[in-house]
This record gives sequence, structure tokens and C-alpha cells, in this order.
Amino acid sequence: MKKKYRFKNFQVKWPIFLWMLALSCSQIHGSFAQNQNNYSGTVKDSLNEPIPGVSIVIKGTTIGTVSDLDGSFNLPVRSDSDILVFSFIGYVTQEIPAQNNSIINIELLEDMVGLEEMVVIGYGTAQRKDLTGAASNITSENFNRGAITNPLQQIAGRAAGVNITQVGSEPGTNPSVRIRGITSLIGGNDPLVVVDGIQGNMDLLNQIPTAEIESIDILKDASATAIYGSRGAAGVIIVSTKKSKAGVSTIEYTGTTSVDVLANRLEMLSAEEWRRQANLWGVPASADFASNTDWYNILTQQGMTNNHTVSLGGGTENFNYRASIAAILQDGVVINSGNSNYIANIQATQSALEGRLKLSFSLNNSIRNNQGSPGNIGRASFTSNLISNAFVSRPTDPVFFEDGNYFSDQNVFHYINPYAVAQTVINESETVNQFGSLKADFEIIEGLNINWFGSWRKINHNSGYFAPVSSTIPSAIDQNGIANVSNNRTDEKLTNLSLNYQKDLGHHSFNAIGVYEWQRQTYQGSFAQSKGFINDLTSYHALQLGSIDRHLPGDISSYKNDRTLISILGRINYNYNDRYLFTASMRRDGSSVFGAGNKWGNFPSVSAAWRLSEEKFLNGFQAVSDLKFRVGYGITGNQQGLYPQQSLQLVNASGTTYFGESLINNYVVSQNANPDLMWETRHQTNIGIDFSLFNHKIGGTIDVFSATTNNLLFHYSVPQPPFPYGSMAANIGSVLNEGIEVSLNYSLLENKDWSIMLAGNFSLLRNEVLSLSGSLNGVELVTNNVGWGMNSFLIEGYPIGTFFILENDGKEAGTNEERVVDRNGDGIIDQGNFSEDRYIAGSALPTYTAAFTPKIRYKRFHLDMVWRASGGNKIYNRIRRDFSMYETLGISNLLQSAENLGLFTTQYASDLWLEDGDFIRLDNLTLSYDLMNLNSRWFKSSVVSITGNNLLLFTKYSGLDPELNASGGSGTGMDFGIYPRTRSIALSLQFSF
Amino acid sequence: MNKISSIIIIPVLLFSACMDVGEKVYDKYSASEFYATPEGTASALAGVYAQIPGNWGGVGYAGADNGWYDLNCMTTDEQVIPHRNTGDWQLDFARLHQRQWLPADGINANAWNWLYRSVFLANLAVEQLENAGAEPTSIAEARVLRAFFYYLLMDAYGNVPLYDSNDIPVNEIQQANRSDVFDFVSSELENYIEDLSTSKGGQYYGRFTRWAGHALLAKVYLNAEVYTGTAMWEKCLEQIEKLESGGFSLHPASNDPSHPLGNTYYNLFGDRCPDDETILAIYTQLDVVGRNILTVRSLRGADGNLLIGASAWNGSVVPQGYVEKFSDNDIRKRQFRFGNTPYGPRPAGFMVYELEISNLDNPGADPLAGARNIKFWPAAPVNSGGASNDFPIFRYADILLMKAECLIRTGNPQQAKTYVDQIRERAGLDALTENPTLEDVYEERGFELSWEGHRRQDMIRFGTFTQANGFIPAVDDTYLLFPIPTHALNTNPNLNQNPGW
Repeated sequence: MKKKYRFKNFQVKWPIFLWMLALSCSQIHGSFAQNQNNYSGTVKDSLNEPIPGVSIVIKGTTIGTVSDLDGSFNLPVRSDSDILVFSFIGYVTQEIPAQNNSIINIELLEDMVGLEEMVVIGYGTAQRKDLTGAASNITSENFNRGAITNPLQQIAGRAAGVNITQVGSEPGTNPSVRIRGITSLIGGNDPLVVVDGIQGNMDLLNQIPTAEIESIDILKDASATAIYGSRGAAGVIIVSTKKSKAGVSTIEYTGTTSVDVLANRLEMLSAEEWRRQANLWGVPASADFASNTDWYNILTQQGMTNNHTVSLGGGTENFNYRASIAAILQDGVVINSGNSNYIANIQATQSALEGRLKLSFSLNNSIRNNQGSPGNIGRASFTSNLISNAFVSRPTDPVFFEDGNYFSDQNVFHYINPYAVAQTVINESETVNQFGSLKADFEIIEGLNINWFGSWRKINHNSGYFAPVSSTIPSAIDQNGIANVSNNRTDEKLTNLSLNYQKDLGHHSFNAIGVYEWQRQTYQGSFAQSKGFINDLTSYHALQLGSIDRHLPGDISSYKNDRTLISILGRINYNYNDRYLFTASMRRDGSSVFGAGNKWGNFPSVSAAWRLSEEKFLNGFQAVSDLKFRVGYGITGNQQGLYPQQSLQLVNASGTTYFGESLINNYVVSQNANPDLMWETRHQTNIGIDFSLFNHKIGGTIDVFSATTNNLLFHYSVPQPPFPYGSMAANIGSVLNEGIEVSLNYSLLENKDWSIMLAGNFSLLRNEVLSLSGSLNGVELVTNNVGWGMNSFLIEGYPIGTFFILENDGKEAGTNEERVVDRNGDGIIDQGNFSEDRYIAGSALPTYTAAFTPKIRYKRFHLDMVWRASGGNKIYNRIRRDFSMYETLGISNLLQSAENLGLFTTQYASDLWLEDGDFIRLDNLTLSYDLMNLNSRWFKSSVVSITGNNLLLFTKYSGLDPELNASGGSGTGMDFGIYPRTRSIALSLQFSF
Repeated sequence: MNKISSIIIIPVLLFSACMDVGEKVYDKYSASEFYATPEGTASALAGVYAQIPGNWGGVGYAGADNGWYDLNCMTTDEQVIPHRNTGDWQLDFARLHQRQWLPADGINANAWNWLYRSVFLANLAVEQLENAGAEPTSIAEARVLRAFFYYLLMDAYGNVPLYDSNDIPVNEIQQANRSDVFDFVSSELENYIEDLSTSKGGQYYGRFTRWAGHALLAKVYLNAEVYTGTAMWEKCLEQIEKLESGGFSLHPASNDPSHPLGNTYYNLFGDRCPDDETILAIYTQLDVVGRNILTVRSLRGADGNLLIGASAWNGSVVPQGYVEKFSDNDIRKRQFRFGNTPYGPRPAGFMVYELEISNLDNPGADPLAGARNIKFWPAAPVNSGGASNDFPIFRYADILLMKAECLIRTGNPQQAKTYVDQIRERAGLDALTENPTLEDVYEERGFELSWEGHRRQDMIRFGTFTQANGFIPAVDDTYLLFPIPTHALNTNPNLNQNPGW
């Protein structure tokens, strides 16, 4: 009892101390007169719970404080006309005229529709109500919970038009994200990631502790992204991390532990069934090794995911800091696969010169260790990841020979024993990421700020691989063991200087910004390989122990290339009476990767919004709480997807040749160079409406957009002769994406005990390759029906990845060979890209995505759900084709479903293997209990929750999981065998004290 | 003044540095700078030779799979890869054998792309060497190499695009008639052979010497009737006579217990092709310069481990009819491995291959069906990716049979006899009792040159290519040319497909 009491005592004194500190600072710098009276009171929420940390400022001054744990505050009176501004993230800001009213108890309303929140828009922030472009904002209280290892998993399903796809649950792999479809063929479909001003690729997200993210903003249309110019074409994800608030000192812990199990498995033949089929189909008895092995079972296990973050922070008015340490640990469901990621992060902000200079500083370090399940292995006829090789292994094969060695059948071409591979192959990597940034903001005169920002990020990725003879991998046997190490370094530097001017003149308000920015990314690394080891003891740690005789060209290599991007940009925002809003921006970008005369491109944008709800003529409509129309147009460019050096005619090493009685280096022209390479540009128009009705009970956003990518960068087919290679990077075709995005939320019930909020979003997307052919240096190029995966193509007039495929027509009686329809009736089944025997059978790209994210609260219980749906796409189930042919029964296992088909062989890749990709998934179900203000005063807040991930899946797709590669790149919509997707149950604890 | 200029210059310098987006290349050479150096010029020629050894990806003349060699061998009576009833092997090779190939086939595209990349590199070498004022021998080598690739293109595809400078705009590259390609190849060779080196072996091993040039031109004239409609047997003989001044002879065949096949004859296909008989060879060293998969691809998995110490592929076999034509006394029959008592090593557990192949595609052949070919008994280093045997492109035995053929075709069978007999006698056979007929020469070419990449050309010249033969069905003349690959047709509207395709 005593102890507790003492602590309580301390708790009471501590905020007072901080408050006094704050007050003393204010007194030093403040300009108000010493005064006799104070304002005081408490801030509570609609449930009558006190809200700590609310900022209370006297309007028009820098005088302010924050509410303490009881929600109470104390602030000196300045004048009779003081207006107190109460603001807190997630709540509607309120302004209360004080008028000598010294006791002010107020209730802050939760911001249900999010129209008031601040949105990060690139080189600045804006209030959501002032936005003219299309952007989604998700704050931490709406994040998905559970077995989260990457920030994107927290927002899956939360934003319309943002498609986040996780293919399998391999530890350390990240979801892919596509914003408003596939805009480019050469790459560069990944959005730009900006973390507190630091720009990077998707991997930057791995460096951010998931629990430390305050909000994620997604810029979707060109008028919003154009400010990021060339890097914003595929959208921008802006991550803002939590900042400490003045006067509040916190220690927070967030921890999740989850148990991961296989969600699904394919029904393969058992040993007995295999044997029976083998007899039936005349497989020689020599293929049966009289064993009984469930390969999938011995290669999988129960996985586990842990994610723990501890953060601490605090601050005064002029200084605040926050530091955090996170550990994200995964043991995969495939044996010997795992990933661990440790992140340490510290940031601090200091202001000086009477608040006119503000310096922000951040440092981040993360160390990621990955133990990868080997990929791309198998026999010549089937290569995939390790686990999919479990389908190949005959159930009648033993795991071990009688002598204890791993079993292998030398009479099967390139036989591998997947269990031996899992147990003996070492495939690991360590990635060390570091970044630091410094931002200096100086107010020159009122409204005019100069800002300098610099960031430097280093990534060191080191990997090691060792395949011993015992792995049964043929190349490892041939070479008597293979070991290699590779080191890859990335260095990303960015600096910008900006001038920002803000001015309010009566009803007119202006904000203008001008920026110069320079960034360079340098990539370099090396690779070394050694073969021929007398034993396995040193793994890849002693390459010198390999045999020098086996050293070959290609066993050592190194590389370096870089890309520089320089930008000058400006933006003007104009706001008339909060009613008419205009934004115009212009960015001029120069990129090193293009041809000498084509390095610079201009990327303008304009947008406008009209807040109808502010108009007098709508005053009579009580139903309309808020209504805004938006329209915008902008151009963005893509250069990030283009590998450097492609505009230059270069010579590279190409192995060894024999000439003049000796072995000499061979040099070869390394590519078809295109000196005319230039910017790919995306022209996007967006029309949107934001509305809120019936006192914010119903709210929503609807956006319609159309985006055309011109000068489409792609490796176009060029004639051979004269070109030495079959394709060349060039700007020729164009691609269209158009769609509609709807987000709606409805507050069904809201009272002290109950709250039911229904929310969801829906997007329709149409993609079309407008053209692929055109003129290259005056020569007409005929590029069409370009292969984009098995049977999927780029065809003018159809979506990227259109399945143009032969139609199954049953099988030949007797031979059991697959028959296909000879559509043009010429007696020949043509399998060429232009074959008239093929027909259009749908596309690999989903045409709709939807999510339903209801939130239900009963007292302190919260139930959150994320249902996600996607479809309209087709999947080519290559796994089913590969494991349905009885011709391979002698060397492979087959699916149980093969028996119904009864196919011996096929010469074709027909629509028999094409399946619908539609699915509905209960992605996340979280039940949490809010322990806030338990009798103990130790904790500011604490939440316990339990989450089920991937609990339900409704789909007709017969493979492991319908969520497959949706990157838009070659191979999209193909099932080549995935790492299993898990179902997990996670327990989370969140404390703040 | 100084101050003023620095006020102007410094910001200008700063500004230009701030706006510099020039591209720097750190890890490759700029092509223009590289080829301007003597090393670069020399490497341009070596780079063309580097195209010839076979390797993964269907590149090269012979030694690896899925390229020119398979296109020219699997389509003949000497070689095929059946699908196996155990599930091994895709049907691509059986379909080549059964005349079921299509313009979009990968092997066809690989061969075309390899040949045209080689032409590009040869053009580059000719241009670089001429610009640098290189030795006439080097320039001649580059030109003759280019003619060699065009000869292969003409042989396989007939009417093909012809260009001799890489600077030509794409749309000006026209498809030439087969006879125009013939004119280009023969005139280039006539003009430049004499500039080639007369050395044999050594520095010139694996390179076009004057003798290899004559052998090539003799081949061109030998098949002139196929290419142009006009026979040129005399011109062929003329080239062979010039070649003979190079002093070639048949490599002696004698018992050699150290060789697994027991005869020095097989040294012709060993680690290094002997200089006495070899006119042009491909140097091969596994995983360094090309590879030779021919034996590894033929033997069955575990049998490969037993016989040659590497897991083998159970791929190519020799059709029964082809094997059965060989006389039992013929030392060349030892290249076939089948039956209980095959020639060569018989370690415990060696596999007994059966001569008969019941089926090529559905349900496929039994795992042990089909005679195997071990002519290229693997030379070290060996692994499951192949061996290091060199490969003869032209050798004197071929030339002698060409000479015999021309003599018979020009009405001198009695003169031809001695050449055929030389070949037969070396193989341990008796001399012919009568003057050789064309059929004798055709069969002898089959015995002597099996699996060396000549068979399709020979079958076409002798008119047997379109006839039924074992698993090969009778077909029309469409099949005398391969179709131009779909990809090449699609990208170049100037091209017309070969008739019938």
C-alpha cells in the first residue's frame, strides 16, 4: 500500500513540475504581462473520460499548455478577449472564447469523419478540408493489428484504390502495393515512400517500427503527387512517426506474439494412392522406393511472429525527443526459414531564437537477419521455391537412404530431395540500414520560412549461400559444394532547400513554396564464389578453402552505378474564404538515366476545390454537414524504374574465350543502347467529392480518375537483325488506367456504452494497353502480343496481362492427350503469340477491390474487422497443370484432382488451368479491451487485444491462395508455387506509462 | 575586375554543379573508347569466335542444347530425344524428329538469334579492324567468319536478311534471296580466303585458316544446287584441291587400350582435335569456354555416374535403323552403346540399353530404350553439365567424302573410289569391290560423320530428308527450310515467311 501511495504522490507532482517548467519557459520568451488570473478546467471525451495531452493555446499567441492525466489544465489569462484553442489528434478542434470565464470544462468530440485532420501533402501539411487533390489518411487508431511485420499490413483494406497484396507469408517478405493500378511496364510501379521527409523505395518501410507510426498518408492523384515529380507517378506513401508532445513524458510498450499455422494445403496423392495410380498407368516398378513420406508435412511447422516495441519520449516547449527500440522476429512455417529485424530510432527537436529556428534531427538503425528458404530450385522441368518442391517428390520416396544419407534417385534428371535442401543449404543475409536526417526551419519574417533538409541513408546487404554435396542439388554435387557471398551497398543522399511564404489577407489566404532538391542513389557491391570443398565445416565463411581448379569466370564480380535526380519545384495554394481552394504546382526534374538531350522534364499540376457547405445557399440544408468538390489535373514522370546506363553503348565482360592458343577475356557489347531514352509521363485527371451528412453521421469520399501513361518505357522487341539483342529500352506505347473509388462510413450508433461504425471502400479499375507499337528512330516497330507470363500478354486494346489462350477441348480418347480447339480450323494448333487459335480469356489484373472495416465498441471492448475482397481477374494455375499430368507420375507426385482429369500429357498451356481469382477474406478480426484508468494510476493507458489473421477465405480458386503476384510485372497472375500463407492468432499488449 | 568576375563565375559554377545530371559509368567500358584501343580491336575478332562454342541458352554451333546443333541433328535419322514413360523430357525434340516443328519453337528462335548476333559481332569486328588498319589476315578472318554465319543462315532458312554494316537503318535491311546470299558468301570467301593465315594448329587452333576457308567454300559449292538451283561440283573440287596443299591426312586408327573405346580414331573427338585431320575445331573447356554435353545427355542418370563420374540425362539416342546399318567390324560402331556386351567399360551394374525404341511421345520410350552415343567419350573436366571435348567443324575425312561425291556426280566414280576406301579402311573395313555410287558416299558420310552436325545438309542434298524413315514421316518440300522465327517476322515487316509456313 505504502509503495503505491508513494508512487501516486510522485505521479501528481510530476506533471506539475513539467508544467512549471513549461510555464517558466513561456515566461522567459513570452510577451504577455504578468497576470493575476488563470484559466483552468478539464478536458473530457464524449464518454466523460479525461483526455490527457490536449494542446490548449491562446489563439494568436504561442502561450499554451497541455492537459495532464486528469485532463485538467491551467493557463494564465492574457486579456478579456482570449480565445482558447483545444486540439488533439483524433478530435475536433474547438475554440472557446474565455471572456473572463476562468473555469472551462469542455468535451472534445471525436473526429468521426476526419475532415478536420491534418494531412501531409509533400513539402508541407494541409488541413483535410483544404485539400484539392485525392489523398487517403489513416491514423494509428485505425491501423490493423495482429501479426504485423510491415507498416503496409497495418493499412491493408483501409484506403480505396490502394491495393496491398501479400503473397504467402515468407518471413521477411513485404507486401506489394499498387496505387491506382499498373502505370508502367518497365518498373517504377512502387510508390515513393516518404518517412518524416526522407524519401526512399519500399524497403524504407522495413526500417520503421510499426508501433511508432502516427499516421500514413497516401497521395493518389497527380495534383497531389506532382509535387514529388518524377518519383510520385505511382503514388506517394507518407509515413509520419509519433512525436513527443511538450509537457508529456511517456514510456510505451507495444507487443504482439502470434502463432502461425498453415491456412491451406494442396491435396496430393498419398503413397498408397500413388502406387495404385502407378500400376494403372504402367510406371516401371523401379520408380517405387516403397516408402511413405508426407513431404509437405515434414517441411512445415508451426510458425511464430513476435513484434515488440519500447519507446520513450518527452519534452518541453522548446525541446522534445523520442526514442524507440523494436524487435520483429519471425519463425516461418517452412522449416529453417525465419527473419529478425531490430530497429533503433531516435529523434529530437529543439527550437531557439525565440522559436524562430527549429532544428529536427533523427537517427535510425536497423539490423535485419534473414534465413531464407532457398528459391528457384528444382528440376529442369519445374523450378520454384523449396516448399513447392514438396509437390514434386514422390510420396513413395524415403527421406533417407538406409545408411542415413539423404535419399536421391540418380535416374531422375536433376532429382533433389527438398528435405535435404532445407536441412543443409545455408541461405542467409544481413541487412544493416542506417539513416540520419537534419531539418532546419527558420522564420525570416512572419509568414516567410526558409527550410533546409538533408538525409543520408546507407544500406549494407550481405548475404551468404552454401550448398553442400549432401543437399542433393545437382550443381552442388557436380561442384563438390558451392559457397558464395555477396555484398551490396546502397547509398542514398538527399538535400533540399525551400522557401515557404504564408499570408492571410482578409478572406484571401496564400501559401507558396519553392524548393531546390538534389538526390543521388549509388549502388555498388561485389560477389565471390568458391567451389570444391573437402568437407562442409566452413559453410560460406572460408571461400579460400574451395578448390582453385574450379574457379570460373563469373565467380567474382563487382559493380557500381548511380542515379542523380535534381528538381526545382514550386507550389501555390490559394484559399478564398475557406470556400474556393486552388493549388498549382510546377516541378522541373533532371535525371541522369536518360539520353544526353532528354534528361529534363516538366511536371505541372493544377487543382481546385469548392466547399459548397460553406455557401449561404446550402445553409438551409441541415443534412449537409460538409460538402466539397475537387478537380485536378497533373503530369508526373517515371525514371525510377529505368535501370541506369541504358542510353549508352557499353562493353562488358562476357566470360572467357579461346583465341591465339590462350584463354582470354571476352568482351561484348552489353545491350541495345538507346540514346533517345526520355521521361515516361503520366497524365492524370481526378474529380472527387467529399461529403459528410446528418451531423457527420454519414461521410464519404468519391473519386473518379483517368490516367494515361505516355512515352511508355519498355523493353520493346526490336528486329534481330540488325540488333544484337531482341529488345531495347525505349519510349513508345501508352497505357490507360481509369477508375472510381468510393469510401463510406456510417456511424450507426454512438452513445456511452455502444458505438458502431460501419466503414468500407470500393474501387473499380480498368486498365488498357493503348498502344505498344510506334516509331523508333523513324522505323515502325511492330510490338504487340508481347508475352507477359504463361499465356498472358500485352495486347493493344486490352489490359496488361491479358490471357490470350488456347481453349481446352477435353482429351483424346485412348492417348489421354489434351485436345484444344482449332479455332481457325486450319488443322494446325498454332501456339505463337498471334495465333488465331487463341482467344481472349480475361486478365491477370483485378478489376475491383473492396474492403469492409466495421468497428464496434461496447464499453471498453472493441471489435475491429477487416474484410477484403478482390476479383475480376484470372489466375493461371501453373501448379495444377504441372501436377496433373500422368506422364510425369514416374518421377513426381500428382494432385488428387489429376485423377478426374485423367490426362497423360499436353502440348499446350490451355484455359483448362485458368481460374477465377475472386476472393473474400476475413483478413483481420481484433477484439481488444481498453484497460485505461484501471484503479492503478501507473498506466496512462493500456490495451489488451487478440487478433485472428486470415481466419476465413471464400474463393473458388483451387490453389493455395488466390492472392498472388499482382505487381503488374511479367508473371502477374501466375501461380508458380508460393510460400504458404498462414493463419495466425496474435495476442497484443499495449501499455503507456 | 577579379572580384567582379568571381562574383559572376562562382554562382555560375555553383549553379551548373547544382544542375548537373550527367551520367557516369563506373563498371563498364564505353564502346567507342574501348574499340579505339588496340586491345579493343583485337577483342572484337576474338569476340566473334566466342560465339561458336555451344552453351546454355541455345547459343553456339555445337556442344550444348536447344540451338543450331539440335535443329540440324534432331531433324535427321541419326539422333532424337524421346519422351520417356517415366515422365522425363519434353516433346520438343521428338517433334523436331517427327517434322512437327513450328515457327514459334524456342530452338528455332535460338538458332536464328544466335546466328544474327554473330553476324552483328562479325560486322563490328570487320569495321573495327578495317578502321584500325589491322593486318589483312585479321580482317579476312572477320569477313570469313561473317560468311560462315551467313552460310549457316542460308542453309537453314534460305531467304534471309543480308546486311554487312551495323550502321544501316533497320528499315533498309531487306530479305535477300537465297541465291543472293549465296553470291555474297561465295564472293566474300573467294576474295578473302587467300588473305588468311596458312598456319595449322597452335595460334590458329580453332580459327579460320586458309584451309578452313577452302573447306567452307567447298561446302558452299557442294550445296550450290540446293541453294541456287545450279550445281557447282567443279568449283567444289577446285576448293578441295587448294585445301589439299595444306597437307592434311587421316588421323591414324590403331588399337589403344588406354582409350575406353580402344582406338586412336576416337582421339578425333577427344580433348583436342588432332591437327593432322582437323581443319577447324571448336575449343571447349567445360564451364570456361563452352561445353560438350553430347555423351552426358545420352547416357542414363546412374549409368553416367558409373561410366563417366557424372549424373547423366537419359536424353539423345540413336534410332535403330541408323545403328543397324553399321557393320560389326566397323570401329565406328563402338560409338553406340547398347545390349549386354557393349564396347567399352562394363563396371558392375552398368545399364543395358535396348536398341529398339517403341515410342517417341505418348506414352514415351522405356527408360533404357535406344542406343546411346559415346563417340565424344567425355574429356575432363566432366560433370552433369557436360564435358570438355573439342568439336570438329571441318575435318579431312569429310573433305575426302565430298571429293568422292563431286567426282561421282561429275562422272568419275573410278577416281572417287580411292577416297571412299581410305575412309573405310581406316575404320577397319574392306575396300569397296566396285566403284562407289552416290548412295555409298551418302551411307559412308553417315558412318563417318554421325552426330557432327552435317546430316541434315547431307540428307537434303541427297534427297532423303523428306522421305519416311523410322519415326520420320514423309513430308513435302516445305520442310527443306526452317520457318523464319515468329519473333523475327513480327518485329520486321520487311520479312516474308518461307513458303508453306
